Formats: sequence, structure tokens, C-alpha cells
Amino acid sequence: MSHNDEIPAAAHGYIALTPAACTSCMLCVRECPSWCITLESHAVQTSEPGARRPTTVSVLDAFTIDFGLCMFCGICVEVCPFDALEWTPRFDYAASDRSGLVQAIDQLSGSGDQR
Amino acid sequence: MRTVESSRWWEELSALAVDGFTYLDYLTAIDRGTHLDLVAHVVNPDTVEHLLVVAALPGDSAVVDSLVPLHAGANWHEREAAEMFGITFTGHPDPRRLLLRDESAAPPLRKSTPLPARVDTPWPGAATAGGDDAAGRRARRQLPPGVPAQWVAEGP
Ligand code: SF4
Ligand code: SF4
Repeated sequence: MSHNDEIPAAAHGYIALTPAACTSCMLCVRECPSWCITLESHAVQTSEPGARRPTTVSVLDAFTIDFGLCMFCGICVEVCPFDALEWTPRFDYAASDRSGLVQAIDQLSGSGDQR
Repeated sequence: MRTVESSRWWEELSALAVDGFTYLDYLTAIDRGTHLDLVAHVVNPDTVEHLLVVAALPGDSAVVDSLVPLHAGANWHEREAAEMFGITFTGHPDPRRLLLRDESAAPPLRKSTPLPARVDTPWPGAATAGGDDAAGRRARRQLPPGVPAQWVAEGP
């Protein structure tokens, strides 16, 4: 049964991540008052055709939100300069153990198993 | 909002009660760093006017008259403010702890009291964008906002 139709689109239900938009800038991780976001990234050098020097970009390796600690304040969503985080009305992510509340890229981006 | 001298806390709240502010909605405190603000919110039930009354208390000798003889409902609020902020309410009829069991615990809502979870937990924000060896240098070490540096656990 789904009540998703009745929940406003911007409801503080679940925080979705768009990995392609995330630059691993760490702003959300640092601003989160609950310290419940973790991020791992590595740097790679890229050369654009015609550019004089290669640029260094961060590549996102891991991103987790621990919904067992999150207080749904929305600060991470507000501070993300690239709109990589957004509220979604999802609510059905109860877990049978504590670790199930720590959601990784697959779950946050909706690309993997939603449970 | 009305700011009053802490030595006149009882007198001011009594005068307000005579003026119709007979209902104490809540009483709490705020640690401003330099001092504590004791806050009472009183309501006039006839006119529904309401007023915040604030008195500054020095952090190292936070003593003030209890309002319980005036507002019986202040009883638990003062017991909570006493244990959370280290305030002594003179004349309180039952100054036991309300929520905290540990008699020796430092008042947890004082900003000077370390929060164990913040001391024990490595801050996830300490990681550097691009990894620690991004471009062969380590970015300036970041510290979590609002947490005294000496509380911060070293990362793994
Ligand atoms: S909503 Fe608030 S507590 Fe939850 S992850 Fe974002 S910043 Fe942290
Ligand atoms: S603030 Fe946005 S872009 Fe920066 S690390 Fe967080 S999700 Fe990625």
C-alpha cells in the first residue's frame, strides 16, 4: 500500500542523492549537526582538450547517511551548492537492524535495492 | 521581552502575577557563554497577553529565588533548569534531581560541559575532499563548527 500521492513532494521523508551532481565538496558532511553523513572520494587529473594544465577533480567513492542519527533538519539539502541532495517523500525504509538505517549511494540514489 | 535584575526575579514575577500574568507557561535557561539567561514565559489567561521575562545570572554563582511559592507549576521546570544548567533556586520546596540520575554529573546544557558523544566520535567532516593525498597535499585541517577543539576526537 502506498500513500505517496498524499504526501507533499518536499516532505522531509528521505534524502535522495544524485551522485552525478555531487562534487565531493564535503559541505554537507561538515554542516550536518548530527555528524551522520560520511563521504569518501579520491582525486583524479583530467585534461580538457585545449586546456593549458590538467585539472584535479574529486571522484565520489562512497556516501552514506545514517538515518538512525539524522534529525531531518534539512541543513545538508540547503547547503549543497550543486543540488545533489533533495528531499523526497519516501518513508518506507524501516530496517530490522541498526545497520540497515545507514543508507549508501545505491539506496540514496534509488539505483539499487530500495530496502 | 522584559529584562530584569536577577535579584528582583521574585518581585518582578510577583508584580506581573498581580497584573494578571498568573500562568507560568515555562521556565528555562540559555547559556550565553558569558553568563546564563534565566527565562520565564508568563501568560495572562484573561487577555491572552504573554511575556518573556529574562534575568542574567553569572555562570559561576547562578543563584536565584524559586518561583514555586508563586507558581506551583515552576516546581519541575526549576528542578530541570537546576540540573541542566547548574542553577540554585533558593527556597525550592523539593530540590531533588528531576531527570538525571547521576548526582555528580556536570550540568549537561552548559556549553563548558563536554558532550561524551562529541568527544568519542571522529568527526566525518575531517576527511579531505579528493582524499587525504589530493594533489599531493593535505588541505588545512577542518574542525567541526561549534565544538571546542580540545573535545574533538582524532580520526582513525
Ligand atoms: S537532514 Fe540534518 S541531520 Fe539529517 S543528514 Fe541532513 S544535515 Fe544531517
Ligand atoms: S554538499 Fe552536495 S556536492 Fe557537496 S559533498 Fe554534499 S552532496 Fe556532494
